[in-house]
Amino acid sequence: MTVFLLLPSLLFLLVVFVGPLFRYAWLSFHADSVMTGLIAIPNGGANWLRLVQDQRYWQDLGQTLRFAGVSVGLELFLALIIALLLDQRWRGRDLVRTLALIPWALPTTVMALGWRWIFNTPYGPIDYFTNLVGIGSLNILGDPNLTWMATVWADVWKTTPFAALILLAGLQTIPVDLYEAVRLEGGNPLICLRRITLPLLRPYILLALLFRLAQAFGVFDLIQVLTGGGPASSTESVALYAYWNALRFLDFGYSSTIIMASFLLISVICLIAWIGLQILIPTHSESRGVIKS
Amino acid sequence: MKQSTFIKKILASLFAVLICSAVFGLVRARTIESVTFLMAAPFADATRDLVKQFNQEHRGEINLQVVRGPLETEAMSDLAISSLLLGKAPFDGLLMDVTWLPKYAAAGWMEPLEDFFNEKDVDALAIGAREGNSYDGHLYRWPLTADMGLLYYRTDLMEQPPATPEELVLVSQSLQKDRKVDWGYVWQGRQYEGLSCVYLEMIDGFGGDWLQPNNNHIGLDLDPGVQAAAWLQELIDQGVSPNAVTNYAEPEALQSFKVGDAAFMRNWPYAWTELQKSDSAVKGNVGITTMVARPGHSTATLGSWGLTVLKGSAHVNASIEAIRFLTNESSQKQLFLKHGYTPTQQSVFDDPQLLQDKPILAEFGQALKVVKARPETPLYAQISDVLTRQLSSILTRETTPKDGMNVATSHTNQILISAGEKL
Repeated sequence: MTVFLLLPSLLFLLVVFVGPLFRYAWLSFHADSVMTGLIAIPNGGANWLRLVQDQRYWQDLGQTLRFAGVSVGLELFLALIIALLLDQRWRGRDLVRTLALIPWALPTTVMALGWRWIFNTPYGPIDYFTNLVGIGSLNILGDPNLTWMATVWADVWKTTPFAALILLAGLQTIPVDLYEAVRLEGGNPLICLRRITLPLLRPYILLALLFRLAQAFGVFDLIQVLTGGGPASSTESVALYAYWNALRFLDFGYSSTIIMASFLLISVICLIAWIGLQILIPTHSESRGVIKS
Repeated sequence: MKQSTFIKKILASLFAVLICSAVFGLVRARTIESVTFLMAAPFADATRDLVKQFNQEHRGEINLQVVRGPLETEAMSDLAISSLLLGKAPFDGLLMDVTWLPKYAAAGWMEPLEDFFNEKDVDALAIGAREGNSYDGHLYRWPLTADMGLLYYRTDLMEQPPATPEELVLVSQSLQKDRKVDWGYVWQGRQYEGLSCVYLEMIDGFGGDWLQPNNNHIGLDLDPGVQAAAWLQELIDQGVSPNAVTNYAEPEALQSFKVGDAAFMRNWPYAWTELQKSDSAVKGNVGITTMVARPGHSTATLGSWGLTVLKGSAHVNASIEAIRFLTNESSQKQLFLKHGYTPTQQSVFDDPQLLQDKPILAEFGQALKVVKARPETPLYAQISDVLTRQLSSILTRETTPKDGMNVATSHTNQILISAGEKL
C-alpha cells in the first residue's frame, strides 16, 4: 500500500532527475554538436579524454572550488551569528528578521546587475569610498586578483540569509530548559554554545552546508551577469563553461561530459563535507556525557 | 395568419443571414494567417507601430505578432536556440544577429530565402548591408537594420578626429595633460563578444586579418595581430584608457563618454541617439568617424540584425510579406527617425531631404562602406571565445601580447582541426 502512495513522487523524481541524468551520461559518450548536424554519433570515451586534457576545465574547477569553499564557509559563519542574534528576544526583532531576508528574495540577475554598478570603477560607490579613505581606485571587476573576491562577496550578501533561516529554524527546536540546566550547573554562555547549541544544531548546519555547497558549486547566473567569466577567465565556473559549450558552441556531447564530471565531483564533495562535520562537531549524546561529568 | 407568415419570413431571413455570416466568418478565419516573429525587446518595441500598420494593411489576410524577447543579444540567442532545439519552433521568424547565421545554417534551422529575394532586391541594399546574410550559397536573412563599430569624438575638443592609432594616443595625452578630460579613449575591454569586435577593427586597421574564411588562415600571431593587441594593452598602460576598461561593455563606455569624462569612445550607432538626449553632458559636441587605422585600412565591425524564416514554418509566404514590409524604404526611414536605426536600403542613404534633416546619416553611410564581418563559420562562438580569453589576459597583464596571440592561434587551430575544418 505504501508503495502505491509513494509512486507519484517516485515517478516525478524519475522524470525530472534520473531521466536527464541518464541522458547526460549517454550523451557524454557521443559526439553531438553543430558539426555533426546535431545528431548523436558514438565516439567512445573521446569526450572524457578531452576533459582530462582540457586545461581550461581544470582551471575552472579550481576556481569553482575556491569560490564555493570560501563563500559557503563565510556564509555559514555569518549565518550562525545572525541566527543566534535573531533567536534572542529584543525589540524590533521581527522587523529585522523580515528585512534580513530581502537579499535572498531578490532575483540573482537583478542583484548581480546592481553589484556590477556598485563595483564599477570609477562611477560606483565603492570606488568613491576607496578614493575617500585614500586607497585609490581598486578596479575591482577588472583585476583578475580582485574580481573573484567580488563574486564571493556578492554571493555571501545574497545567500547568507538563506543559511541563517535554516539555522534559526534549528535553534528554535532546542528546548530552553537545556540552557537553564547548564546555567544551574554554573556553566557560562560559551559552554552553552559549545555543548548544547552546536551539537543540537548539527543536522541543520549540515543541511545548510549541503544546500549551499551544491548551489555554490553550480554557480552560474551571478557570474554570467557580474563578470561574464572574466577578466582573463579568472571567474569562469564549471557551470558557465558547460553552458557555453551547450548553448553557444552547440556542443552537447562535451557539455554533457562536463556536467557528468561535475555531478560525480559534487557527490564526493558532499560526502566528504558530511563526514568532516561528523568529526568536527561531537554528537549530542557525547556532549551530554561531558556535561554530566 | 398573415402576420405569422410574415414573422416566419423574417425569422427565416435572419437565420439565412446568420448562417451566411457564420460561413463567411469561418472562411475568413481560415484565410487569416497568423505569423509570429521573435525579436529582442528593444526591436520589438521599436517596430510596434510598423507591425500595427502592417496588420491594418493586411486586415483579414495576415496577422503579424511580435514576441518580445530578452534585452541582451546573448540572452536572446539562448532563448531562440532553446526553442529551436525542441524540434518545431513556436515562431515563424526570428530577428537574428549577424554572427549566429552560419551556426543556425549548419544546424539546419532556417528556410533558404533566395527564391523570394532576387538580385534586384540585393542590389538595392547598401553595400555593407549585403554582407552576413548568406552562408554556403544560400540566402537566409534579410537585413532590418545595419550596425557597425564607430569612433565617437568630441567636436568641442578637436577640429579633426584622429585617423591613425598614434594620432589618437597623442591627441588623448595632450587633452589629458591640459585636464580637459580624465580619459582619452573608452572602449569595450570586458571578456565578451564586444572585445572581439574592438579587436577586429584594430587587427584589420593594422593591415592584418583574424581568420580568412576561404582557407582558414589565422592571422592572430602575425605582426598586425600582435600589434593590435599590444596597442590596446598600451592604451591602458599609458593611462589613455582607464584600468577599469577591462570590465567595460557598451553601457560603461557610454556612461564615461556621456558625462564628458572621455575624448573618444568606440560604440555602435545606438549610442548616437543616447548622446542626443537631454541628460547627456556632451549633447551637440559629438562627432562620428570610422575607427583609427593605418592609412586605407579603416574598418568597422559589422553587427547587423536581420529577419529569418525558421524551418518548419507553415506561413513562409506570409512571413516574407511581413519581412518585406518591415524592411522597406518607408519603414527604414521611420525606424531611423524615431529610433536611430541605421538603414540598410541604399535609397534611404541617398534621400536628400533626410540627409538635410539628419546630417549624421552621411557618417553612418560612410562607416557602412568599410564594414567587415566577423569570421563566417559555424564555429565562430568557440573561436571568438578563445580570442577574448587571451585578449583579456593580455589587457590585465597576465600574459604578453606575443604569447597571448600565439596561444589564441594554436587554440583556434585546434578548434578548426578537431571539427574537420582544417588539416
